[in-house]
Amino acid sequence: MDYVPHDEETIRIMLEKIGVENLDDLYADIPNNLKIKTLNLPEGLPESDLLKNLTELSQKNHIYHTSFLGAGSYYHYIPSLVDSIISQSQFFTSYTPYQAEISQGMLQSIYEYQSAISRITEMDVTNASMYDCASALAEAATMAFFITKKRKVLLIEGIHPEYIETVQTYCWGRSIETEIIPLDELDNKITDEIAGVLIQSPNFFGDIEDVNQIANIVHSKSNKCLLIQAMSDPTCLGQLKPPGKSDVDIFVSEGVGMHPSFGGPNLGILSVKKKYMRKMPGRLIGLTKELYGEKEGYVLTLQAREQHIRREKALSNICSNQALIMIASLVYLISLGKTGLKDVAMQNFQKANHVKQALSQISGYKILNTKPTYNEFIVKCPNIDKLIKKCKDENILPPLRLSHYFPNRKDEILICVTEINSKEDIIKFIHIAQEAAQ
Amino acid sequence: MEFPGDLKYQATHEWVKIEGDIATVGISAHAQDQLGEIVFVELPSVGDSLEKGAVAANVESSKAVGEVVTPFTGEITAVNENLEDEPEVVNSSPYGDGWIFKVKISNASEADGLLDAAGYQATL
Amino acid sequence: MTRELLIFDKGYNAVKNNFTPEMDIDRVDFDNILPKFLQRNEEINLPDVPEFEIVRHYVNLAKKNYGVDSGIYPLGSCTMKYNPRINEITARLPGFLNIHPLQEENEGAIELIYNLGQQLCEICGMDAFTLNPAAGAQGELTGILIIKKFFEMKGIEKDKIIVPDSAHGTNPATSVMAGFSIIEIKSDENGELPLDQLEFAMKGGDVAGLMLTNPNTVGVFDRNIDKITEIVHKYGGLCYYDGANLNPIMGIVKPGEMGFDIIHLNLHKTFSTPHGGGGPGAGPVGVKKDLIKYLPCPQVIKIEKGLACVENEGSSIGRIRSFWGNFGVLVKAYTYILALGNNGIKRAAQNAVLNANYIRTQIQHKYPIPYNRINMHEFLVDAHLPNGVNSEDVAKGLLDRGIHAPTIYFPLIIHEAMLIEPTETENKRELDKFIKALLEIYEEAEKNPGHLKNGPYNTDIGRLDATLAARRPHLRD
Repeated sequence: MDYVPHDEETIRIMLEKIGVENLDDLYADIPNNLKIKTLNLPEGLPESDLLKNLTELSQKNHIYHTSFLGAGSYYHYIPSLVDSIISQSQFFTSYTPYQAEISQGMLQSIYEYQSAISRITEMDVTNASMYDCASALAEAATMAFFITKKRKVLLIEGIHPEYIETVQTYCWGRSIETEIIPLDELDNKITDEIAGVLIQSPNFFGDIEDVNQIANIVHSKSNKCLLIQAMSDPTCLGQLKPPGKSDVDIFVSEGVGMHPSFGGPNLGILSVKKKYMRKMPGRLIGLTKELYGEKEGYVLTLQAREQHIRREKALSNICSNQALIMIASLVYLISLGKTGLKDVAMQNFQKANHVKQALSQISGYKILNTKPTYNEFIVKCPNIDKLIKKCKDENILPPLRLSHYFPNRKDEILICVTEINSKEDIIKFIHIAQEAAQ
Repeated sequence: MEFPGDLKYQATHEWVKIEGDIATVGISAHAQDQLGEIVFVELPSVGDSLEKGAVAANVESSKAVGEVVTPFTGEITAVNENLEDEPEVVNSSPYGDGWIFKVKISNASEADGLLDAAGYQATL
Repeated sequence: MTRELLIFDKGYNAVKNNFTPEMDIDRVDFDNILPKFLQRNEEINLPDVPEFEIVRHYVNLAKKNYGVDSGIYPLGSCTMKYNPRINEITARLPGFLNIHPLQEENEGAIELIYNLGQQLCEICGMDAFTLNPAAGAQGELTGILIIKKFFEMKGIEKDKIIVPDSAHGTNPATSVMAGFSIIEIKSDENGELPLDQLEFAMKGGDVAGLMLTNPNTVGVFDRNIDKITEIVHKYGGLCYYDGANLNPIMGIVKPGEMGFDIIHLNLHKTFSTPHGGGGPGAGPVGVKKDLIKYLPCPQVIKIEKGLACVENEGSSIGRIRSFWGNFGVLVKAYTYILALGNNGIKRAAQNAVLNANYIRTQIQHKYPIPYNRINMHEFLVDAHLPNGVNSEDVAKGLLDRGIHAPTIYFPLIIHEAMLIEPTETENKRELDKFIKALLEIYEEAEKNPGHLKNGPYNTDIGRLDATLAARRPHLRD
């Protein structure tokens, strides 16, 4: 099956108009010795077979009844209208809105996304998305280098291991030095030679840091160095102090409103203080007005920052972003509204706290976090293999073994509890934990 | 297009006005015309020390970016802060209110390579 | 001044949507969970809008957006082909949509990643693919970092990348992100890379590689391609293929056989996954055998017992994002390749070329075409029309006729560039409509240029002031 609409007769007519005899003649420029005979691929399938084939493949993945796994990808309830709206074909079949006059729908939606994220984070400006939080954090480190001209960034322990590796890859490319330090060494490590300090809060282990105090340290020790905060699950902002109120210079986060989908697509939020607006990578949508009229409308703007104009002097090469996911994130946030967002955050805090307290009562389990936590926390287990196996037996997606990222931490797990975990799920999980301790 | 005779020029399209040990720098009428409507001027900071030939400022239109190269090694003594709010002045008055920065001349012989108006026009 | 209402202008304080489950456990005092100084003090500045109003708001906005589903979308270099609906269904199968990237029972997802990688290897003549990059630009970065790693591991210092002047802006931007500087080579009068200049640049000894799009951005296939890659290899360089323009040659010729060592693809161009208004895309990167060990992690490889996921074993460039990339996009591309199969892929390529050349030959008597020979999937017009009408005016004239404009002002080597790429999924009637519109606009340029210059008129909004937007940035409400 293919999607070419011409019949043979039409092709013949068109070839005649072009002035060649057959389709092969169109490829006269390609040296004959390079042309291939055929591809070693099976013949195409009709749609009915495609669905069958892909359904079978998808069923080789197990879908659990419920989950206590997060670690950078979270199960939240997503209102049905989110998928309905991103399935509007004029949204999802459009390109980057270069022709503003016939793209006001996408442009206004992105402007609303930029506004909604800026409102929730209390940051001044938000761009039209990065690929994910990891690459957004890497680009934020690059921004710090561009702003300060200094070639070193500090990463505070507790950043998601995959984000750290991504930052290291990007920084290696630009010859920016990276150093991972414990938080308590920050005071001694900051000098005017440091471009930025990267911290995640809530961090990979669940700890909520006192970002405001960290900002004070960074900004009092150096008038150049930027503080960059990363976040994996921004639903916490329904109750948590926003980065804009903690003197954070650049904020990055994973988006919301998408199903896990094996890790993507989601999006990377990037928000900055106003003074760094022109040093941001990525697309930005701005409000303007008609040249010959009085109506207001939206366009892609501040494009002189970008690769198609600045070429080798551009801060980043990013062009395609995660536009459709911006709409998903926006519609998710609007659907919940301020009331729903507060409620979701509160439920995550309360339910995770409930599990945390219950586990701490079971002999053999030890909560390792010493700081407040949101919907994730780490626990030392008496018998981790038994716990994980029992979870799977009960059709529960088990928490993360920390040894997945930290091979030495063999008896620790990272548990995630969100609003989707019902009281019954939670009771069952605690029961499993009890059994696994015996 | 005007190229005032009392100014010096660089082939990279800056004009330079030397008064004592201070040089005022902007972009030529030709440069602003080529860039089109200026939307932003990224200014250096007062106190920055730059080598001759270094990029001191960037002038952006919505379709292009032009670099402004300092003609003298030395410290930036003033910048035209008014351009932060009204970058379009570079279009309307490139040689007057559209000046970009002032640099303190540390080596006067660096003026030797600068072009006069006729010399600059010949490069266009 | 009038402006459409924003979502923030809608809703009432009284409503609350019931989307989230009821809180079914006992609450404790919140201050005991999160100390007051870490709590949010201020109200979240978002409205509570009833569901029906949200849906109406965005459905009405969607109506004010042109997509491939609205009509022909001849945006050069972007390959805006029809997005088959089955792809949307398969990507949303629960077994793909609801699986966690860190869950162990992921056999189907891993198999899909492996199979798609194998299909792309066959189409491109490469030995392995990573599907992790989230977009073409990130694929480019991955590829150029592989070049960096290759020389770093060998202890050879090479710090330059050659890029033709017709290249996508991402090519130079990417090279600098990987620490290289650029040697730009001017294309010759045929739009091709001059071999003598290439050889001269390579002789310098400090060139790590060449980034090339072929067919290039003026729409022609570089006839010297095998000589080009031979020269680069002779001086120890690597050849990088920008796969943005793969569509017209798949099933005809393989980049790997042209001599390219590394390639990135845009699944959201060639392989029919929707652009989503700018993303999400996917930018897989393929390499020849000797470069496999540098691919980013994680990777899926074949072992005796089946498939295995491997992390960084020391020589990888590392991770370029979290998890497995834009997996949902991969499902769509995989579905498309299965649908087309061997013959369909070739037919798609051939008809993309047919459609582009058909338009070219029907407008060439009016529109100057700087590289006027048989083009591939797209062709470049130099839109200097009578009475100073330029490519932007032509673009707006098309919008007035209900048609999306081609890419304008790219590539930069032609002043009034207009790059036209119809793709294979348009029939002759749509192409003829587009041709007729272009010819009408030409006539209008002769007779009534002022009207064109002030357009468009039939769109939701008139021509917008891009200068004002950049001078007085207003980026949020």
